[in-house]
Amino acid sequence: MSDLDGPALFPPNSAILKESAYPHLKGWRGGVSYMGMEIGWVVIATFLASAGGVLGALAMRADKPGRAAFFWMSLAFGAQLMALGWRGGLRGQCPLGDVGEVCLFLAWSLTLFYLVTGTTYRLSLLGVFTAPLVIVLQLIALVPGAFDTGVVRADSVDAWREAHTSLSVLSYGALALAAVAGVMFFVLNYRLKAHKFGGGLVHGMPSISRLVQAMARIALVGWVILTAGTVAGLLMPEGNFSIHLMVATITWVLYAVLLGIYFVRGLPGRQLAIGLTGLFVLSLMVFAKL
Amino acid sequence: MKLVCLGLNHETAPVGVREKFALSDHALDREIENLMASQDVEEGVVLSTCNRTEYYAVVNGGSGIGELENWICEQRDYHGSREGVFYQYEARAAAEHLCRVASGMNSMVLGETEIFGQVKKAYQRSLEGGATKAVLNKLFQRAFGVGKKVRTHTAIQEGATSVAGASVELAEKVFGRLHGSSVMVIGAGDMSRKTARALQSRGASSVMVTNRSFDKAVDLAEEIGGRAVPFQGWEEELAHLDVVIAATGAPHFVVKPQHVEAVRRKRKFRPLIMVDIAVPRDIDPKVGEIEEVYLYDIDTLQEMADQARKRREEQLLLCETIIREEIDKVTLPAVND
Repeated sequence: MSDLDGPALFPPNSAILKESAYPHLKGWRGGVSYMGMEIGWVVIATFLASAGGVLGALAMRADKPGRAAFFWMSLAFGAQLMALGWRGGLRGQCPLGDVGEVCLFLAWSLTLFYLVTGTTYRLSLLGVFTAPLVIVLQLIALVPGAFDTGVVRADSVDAWREAHTSLSVLSYGALALAAVAGVMFFVLNYRLKAHKFGGGLVHGMPSISRLVQAMARIALVGWVILTAGTVAGLLMPEGNFSIHLMVATITWVLYAVLLGIYFVRGLPGRQLAIGLTGLFVLSLMVFAKL
Repeated sequence: MKLVCLGLNHETAPVGVREKFALSDHALDREIENLMASQDVEEGVVLSTCNRTEYYAVVNGGSGIGELENWICEQRDYHGSREGVFYQYEARAAAEHLCRVASGMNSMVLGETEIFGQVKKAYQRSLEGGATKAVLNKLFQRAFGVGKKVRTHTAIQEGATSVAGASVELAEKVFGRLHGSSVMVIGAGDMSRKTARALQSRGASSVMVTNRSFDKAVDLAEEIGGRAVPFQGWEEELAHLDVVIAATGAPHFVVKPQHVEAVRRKRKFRPLIMVDIAVPRDIDPKVGEIEEVYLYDIDTLQEMADQARKRREEQLLLCETIIREEIDKVTLPAVND
């Protein structure tokens, strides 16, 4: 590939590029920078997710819930994949090396679980509630400096570390979606309790029972993946008990307690929703601080 | 040839008059035969429901709608006042009226769906009896198409317009499908019966009835295929229920917060919907403060029903437009001339 070639979708997988990925390719080529390719895809993904959120909300307002949100979020998912693929190619490993990549991976994971769950549970409005969180995560990724520019391509890859980071962030996608379902529950619960039935919101939403079921099951899936991620973390060769791993383990325990109480003893839907949204926000804040 | 429609319904005639013109299935066949025996009638369909009796006929030019009215009153041996009792439509107006009837726009409960099947059945009888030909065949087929279009393109049948229907709608908002759900009816009155039946029609499988007078509970339970529970022990059943309908004549609260609090753990905090259709109320409003309880009283249900009715009425203009457009497409001399 010569310098004059147009931009590739993914960076060339060359063993020569070790110190810094493609320093000779920095700058603009035909209007698109190699280093900025992921930014382009994230911008596209953000526009697509916005379209999904806005069109879904408009359909909800008109009391005609359809597949608009699902369609646009599917496209956003594709754009996220392209961005992650590009960053993964740069790093030669799972793209979870900086804030931008973590946010993007989390947004991708959240979208993935929405696409799977949204159709399974027929939660057509879940997309409307998911899109804002996806957009926020991607906007954080777009903040200048969020993506490292001097990415060093990995010499070797530690499978346990890769499994730990990717499974942990993947699990947070599911746990984020459970929190989103929790927010939907708050909205519907408030309106049903306050006898406010007007508008398309109540009409288009799934039932309380279905939301509680979705919250619990999605969180359980997230917890199972988090379990695998935490175990992989403990098996890392330099498996010293890092602060990250410790927080991940505490998070795992808290989710285990919450889900254990729900499945064994039972829990009112509102308390489950508070637990899931609270735990997700709290763990996200702790990880951001770290 | 001319299309005519002559009829009476709940808006024009009291039940005492309507029942005089109502026709059983057997009488309906004979009525069509008699109608077709007239030299002036080319085609005919007779529609008879509890709220209306209507004659659609294609008559020869000489015969007017007055002759048809005289004939019908003679057949039914009706000698009372006819003023304002009958309505009459000719040609295009008759075709549009048929479309309104098939769409449920002319029904006592605006937008109800049962009438569509009744019109279809009436047409089928005439068709099988050889009483319909080119005009009525084409017109009724068009009316069925219009009826479907009105229901799919407008919100004429959306929302529950009765207290019982509103209860079902709310229960579905909490539980989704009601298949397999358990219902308890406290009180054995008419409202209890209607609401229990409405829930059963949506899949509620287990219905328990409790009442101070156990005999009445047994009667209602037998009628709706449920199970009677002694009034002294109704609280024990609360642990297994999804929906509670309260409609007793008690002057004080029958269901109190402690009743629900006692079974919350046993219920694993599952959602519970409580519908209080009694005045004075049977369920203490404090019960609604329990997290997993969704409590609705008669005012809320009535308001829901009123809003649904209003929304349906707002659709009438749109329905009329659809009917006009569809009738414009009909090219029949008996309708257009």
